[in-house]
Amino acid sequence: MQEPVHERLQISPFMAAFIVMAMQFGIGVLGFQRIVAKEAGYDAWISIIGIGLLVHFIVWIMYRICEAVDGDILTANVYVFGKAIGNTINSFFIIYFISACVAVLGGLVEVIRTWMFPNLSPLLFGSMYLILGIYIVYGGFRTVTGISFFGLVIPSYLLFSFAYAIRYGDFTNLLPILDHSPLELLKSAYSMSFTVLGFGVLLFFHPFIKNPEKSKKWVHGGIFLITLIYAILAIISFAYFPPALLNKSIWATLEMWKIVRLPIIERFEYLGIANWSLIILPNVAICLWTASRVIKHVFHLRQRKGVWFVAAICLLLILIVDSRERMDMFTSFHGKIGFGLAFVYTPLLYLAIIIAKKVKKK
Amino acid sequence: MKKYFFIPLLLFTVLLAGCINKKIIDDVNITTGIGIDKEGEQYLGSAMIPVYNPDKSIENFIFTAKGTVVRDLMFQMQQTSSQPIVGGSLDVTLFDETVAREGIPHVLDVFLRDPSVGARVHLAVVDGKAKDIFEGKYGDRGNGRYLAELIESNYKTGNLPLTNLHQFLHDYYQKGKDPVLPYLRQTRPDLVNIAGLALFKGEKVVDVLDENKLFYFKLMVDYYSEGALKIKDEHGESFIKSIHSTYNFKVKNRNPYKFSVTLEVDGMLTEHTGKSLEKGEIKRIEKQMEKQIKKECLALLERFQENKIDPVGIGHFIKTQTRNFDFKKWEESYQNASFDVDAKVKIVEVGVIE
Repeated sequence: MQEPVHERLQISPFMAAFIVMAMQFGIGVLGFQRIVAKEAGYDAWISIIGIGLLVHFIVWIMYRICEAVDGDILTANVYVFGKAIGNTINSFFIIYFISACVAVLGGLVEVIRTWMFPNLSPLLFGSMYLILGIYIVYGGFRTVTGISFFGLVIPSYLLFSFAYAIRYGDFTNLLPILDHSPLELLKSAYSMSFTVLGFGVLLFFHPFIKNPEKSKKWVHGGIFLITLIYAILAIISFAYFPPALLNKSIWATLEMWKIVRLPIIERFEYLGIANWSLIILPNVAICLWTASRVIKHVFHLRQRKGVWFVAAICLLLILIVDSRERMDMFTSFHGKIGFGLAFVYTPLLYLAIIIAKKVKKK
Repeated sequence: MKKYFFIPLLLFTVLLAGCINKKIIDDVNITTGIGIDKEGEQYLGSAMIPVYNPDKSIENFIFTAKGTVVRDLMFQMQQTSSQPIVGGSLDVTLFDETVAREGIPHVLDVFLRDPSVGARVHLAVVDGKAKDIFEGKYGDRGNGRYLAELIESNYKTGNLPLTNLHQFLHDYYQKGKDPVLPYLRQTRPDLVNIAGLALFKGEKVVDVLDENKLFYFKLMVDYYSEGALKIKDEHGESFIKSIHSTYNFKVKNRNPYKFSVTLEVDGMLTEHTGKSLEKGEIKRIEKQMEKQIKKECLALLERFQENKIDPVGIGHFIKTQTRNFDFKKWEESYQNASFDVDAKVKIVEVGVIE
């Protein structure tokens, strides 16, 4: 049991979905096709739907955890493992959210440098972006939620741009369906899980939802929508690229914009990438908020001070991961930890809570 | 005090936005066409830049350079240009036949690696030198636009299949399918003609299809073929424009492979040289056209087989019908495959007179 968040600071249940969706929809969208198709080929869209179903299940567990301890995951850890071990695990989340922030922001810097401005300074861009993120966190959680809402709604028109690729696609590429073994499909689902990660943030902002029971249908609806978008995007990309070419395309989503031609803009990618920095903004803001909130809980440091500390480390890491290989290494490392936390640690924690409840009752 | 802490920081973001390296449209040379020719052992590259005159006419300026790597050519051209040459608005890229017959892998790499080149760039193989084509003067919108629109309009309303950079790369990387490109020829100093279709095996041109075969080829690869065909029977000649067409491949037998190809064409009679359309004449024209399509399409498929190329994508088709498909075995079985072509023509309109 933790002290409840004042109602003035809480968000409506409907908005909870946008935070989860904003976290799921980040820099991974630009290039997930190549990664999922590596194992399961063009059957990978099945894996995407499969992992989407699994996410629904995990989110259900997450709600159960939060309900069981009547708080967030920080209280849950302390409840199960005691103060010392619980807070040690909790401080690990600080590192996790810092690395999530670096993965998205570093990815954005890399995309801008490859596609638009090769001489963009990561220091300058990163620091300005993080200051904007800090500014949002200063506004409190409600502001973070608002940014998540706009960061999804405003750029959502970009989805229409993929219709151009449909016209040039060959959908027979997907045939024959189920040409791969179940093991390959599972491996592909595993690599897709890196892209859909981020829904775990629900465990941290659960106390901020005004009526958590009502938010369930929205959050599940949001996850369903994101899974659907990923699956459709994958199918369009599979039709647009033959396998050998997709394997070469680091940012398949961006490359599909090369076919778009509008009378007012010759290169649509420039519009798309510029908009993408708006999609990334909620990711950065939520990561900064969550990391600094954990700091507040564990080290009793004010969130306004903690967020500067978090941002400074993020900036430092962005400067370190400045090449393709390092970025690749970093994101796959981050993905593996995220996978472990979301799909392994969360169910185990739930089991531990059930056991702890039984033991404590006696 | 603390409240206004962010204002200077936000001001910085506004001011620093100007610090990025920018390219103003009046201060760059926008390439609209690139040509790669072979001269001796080296490539002769030419880049065409439109020059906008004060009286609104457009002239073309051509940079040339020699080298062995395409990027090196660009770099050399850059050294002779007073303004940076950029490729963000490239319309066409032409290869002379010698280069195309030797293979165009370098060029493919340039296009794939460079994010600034669009996927709608038109590629073409030319009879003669690409540089000579650029040196002509076509239309009043500049040579780049002329060549791009020539190919585009022939795709939309003529017999040319879709052949832009995306389609070329798609077919090149697609297993069981070989790419094709339009084959251009300069007929007059102010006109370029689509003389046929260059057929690739991998990255090399191995055969050139004549222009009068394009209608049949397009029937087998494109759903919306708006091509046209001349039909001759005992009452005179007729000109049929296809409104809509579909193709359908089926596997009839697997060892050896036997395919059935069904082509359905909805056509419109646009000219008839006989006195008038007699009763049953339409039926006769339809039958005649079906016969012609059957014969020519079968001849094309057999010609592709002989050249060991597969621009129609039979290999890709059979892959979509087979689990765990083995492409190595297919190469052999393709040689032994046989085809059954069936055509169904329906003339749905004859114009406003009988």
